[in-house]
Amino acid sequence: MAQTSMLAMILAGGRGSRLHELTKKVAKPAVAYGGKYRIIDFPLSNCANSGIDIVGVLTQYESVLLNSYVAAGGRWGLDTKDSGVFVLTPREKADCGLDVYRGTADAISQNIDFIDAYDPEYILVLSGDHIYKMNYDKMLSFHKEMGADATIAVRGVPMKEASRFGIMNTDDNRRIIEFEEKPEKPKSNLASMGIYIFTWKTMRKLLIEDMKNPDSSHDFGKDIIPVMLNGDKKLYAYEFSGYWKDVGTIDSLWEANMDLLDSDNELNLDDTSWKIYTEDTGIIPQYIASSAKIDGAYINQGAHIGGEVSRSVIFSNVKIAPGAKVIDSVLMPGAIVEEGATVTRALVAENIRIGKNAKVGNKKSEEILLVAKNVKGED
Amino acid sequence: MANKAFGVINSAANYIRVEGLHDYRPIGAFSFLGRFRVIDFPISNMSNSGINRIHVYLNSRPRSIVEHIGDGRHYNINSKRGNIQLLFTQNNGHSSIYNTDINAYLENLEQIERMPQDYVIVAPSYMIYKQDYQKLLDEHVASGTDITLLYHKVDQAKEYYRACNVVTLNKQKGVQSLERNMGTAKEKLISMDTYVMSKEIFVDLIKKAKKESSAYSLADMIALACETLDVRGYQHKGFFAAITSLDDYYRANMEMLEYATAMDFFTSDWPFYTKTTDACPTQYFHGASVTNSMVCNAGLIEGTVENSIIGRNVHIGKGAVVRNSIILSYADIGDGVYIENAVVDKWVEVKKIKKIVSESVTPTYVKRNDKL
Repeated sequence: MAQTSMLAMILAGGRGSRLHELTKKVAKPAVAYGGKYRIIDFPLSNCANSGIDIVGVLTQYESVLLNSYVAAGGRWGLDTKDSGVFVLTPREKADCGLDVYRGTADAISQNIDFIDAYDPEYILVLSGDHIYKMNYDKMLSFHKEMGADATIAVRGVPMKEASRFGIMNTDDNRRIIEFEEKPEKPKSNLASMGIYIFTWKTMRKLLIEDMKNPDSSHDFGKDIIPVMLNGDKKLYAYEFSGYWKDVGTIDSLWEANMDLLDSDNELNLDDTSWKIYTEDTGIIPQYIASSAKIDGAYINQGAHIGGEVSRSVIFSNVKIAPGAKVIDSVLMPGAIVEEGATVTRALVAENIRIGKNAKVGNKKSEEILLVAKNVKGED
Repeated sequence: MANKAFGVINSAANYIRVEGLHDYRPIGAFSFLGRFRVIDFPISNMSNSGINRIHVYLNSRPRSIVEHIGDGRHYNINSKRGNIQLLFTQNNGHSSIYNTDINAYLENLEQIERMPQDYVIVAPSYMIYKQDYQKLLDEHVASGTDITLLYHKVDQAKEYYRACNVVTLNKQKGVQSLERNMGTAKEKLISMDTYVMSKEIFVDLIKKAKKESSAYSLADMIALACETLDVRGYQHKGFFAAITSLDDYYRANMEMLEYATAMDFFTSDWPFYTKTTDACPTQYFHGASVTNSMVCNAGLIEGTVENSIIGRNVHIGKGAVVRNSIILSYADIGDGVYIENAVVDKWVEVKKIKKIVSESVTPTYVKRNDKL
């Protein structure tokens, strides 16, 4: 098999339990975002746009939809003879029983055979549930230039908030000298983004040692990085400054959607030189009826707008009937708002129906309402 | 489903000219509703009917169609058992009288004769309609007729369908004649240039045409054959558009703004496939006003849009008004510009001229890449 320089492994096993019913049946990376995407489109498209050919996607929690979604690598252009997206779920092996992935590092360890088959020099480990655009090839150049064993992408966060993150303390040459998980008194504001490049030969050894360590929780942040720092390994921080969101909660998912309404939003999804690829179907364009009133919206093809929409993100196959109102809300694919219904400050899950004249959500509510069950109408 | 027929998609006859748009691409490559191309409809009809061997004949400016069809995977055609073949004609100039479908078939006769299917469905790349060809084929085989021809009953044959053929039928739906629509009456039966016949008859007509006249088309040959063969009509119902003039093109798009028409045509059990581009959703800014329109993705809408079709990646500036118009992809309509009753081609930039209006029924056409 042809040797590949850098292979990517996307960790997509997390449930994202703070997204409540949204992730009851699908894993967090498969959650819909931005009118037409699923969150995992971002790391996958970044890989494709960065020239990475082989991508392993490590899934575990409620993975049926996610597995079938990512298995069609053609969606991201990862379907040439030398490229592919591979779904890697925990599997039974000859020398040990079937075991779930016990941690982020263990998920990689359990797939050493897969990685070895491509004989990469470097591996890129990513999270499947972050929204951002990043050129990993640039990060790899930095990794090579520094002669690093590991490079960790970081971004500056406000100092006030730094104690909520895993913080990297670096020397003047950006070499990481200390890693502190949620420090009470942070010494720097460089937060880890959970994006790592490892020199595979080094990491392979460390993972095998880690598997044998009964005290390890088999996590990159908690176990592997500290071991590397305590040894003589060279770890560098690669600073990233663009848009980046970890949408862990309903509020932050809603907010990330709302960011798209800004005319100069940083994510800039209409940049044709770095497209985010996704499932794209041949449905009709957006149909905007005579009765429609749209005041600030981000709307996908296949949506039918008959009512009023303001400051909202509307996915495909959403139907908003004449006389309905949608304000400050996110309507996921197939959501239906019937005549006279009002949806305010809400996130409506896929294929949910809001019945006639129903009122959902509250303008004054601080929290965003998640609507994951059909709402009955009133006559 | 038994695949008893292969599909042939032909180009519009050489006397059909659509003002403006046609200078840049064949009718099959015209944009429909801003996101489809006309040729998506016949190919999707074939794909949905279980026809997985399709010939597409290209007789001029093939670039846009070749790019659009590519390997044809997006048409849901089995990649092992089926394929879409793009067949070119090299020998004739675009507007030459010799540039007929028959000459295209003659140049590729070997390909046609090699097809393993017993029947052929011939459909045009310049018409938009929905038809289950399997049903048509079953009907054709059951009736024992030689050629079945699809037609549509219209009541505006004076203003529209001017380059189409009309059929006259006897009581048994036997086709008595097939001739050019001269606009002599409102009500006509328009031939949809769609035929079912055995491969044998198809090849026979092609070979005979060579002896008959070098400028004959398949339609001419079938018109002649009405005397000797059993040619029968099969009525099509539902949305039908023949893109044979700018008026027809404009009307076809505008008719889809009628919600019931669009919903009847676009149903989940009969998908129309197209090449997708991963364009992001469209942004509607505060101050924008959009009504009774179809809008494609990756648009930036700041102004007013009424009764219009807006293609992909279109910008409508602040205070701009677009009314009763078709704006194709990548057009940039500057702040304060007023456009009414126009077809604005791709990559047009309107900044300096503030008003583009057609007073007549026929819309104004703005050329591709123009800067106004």
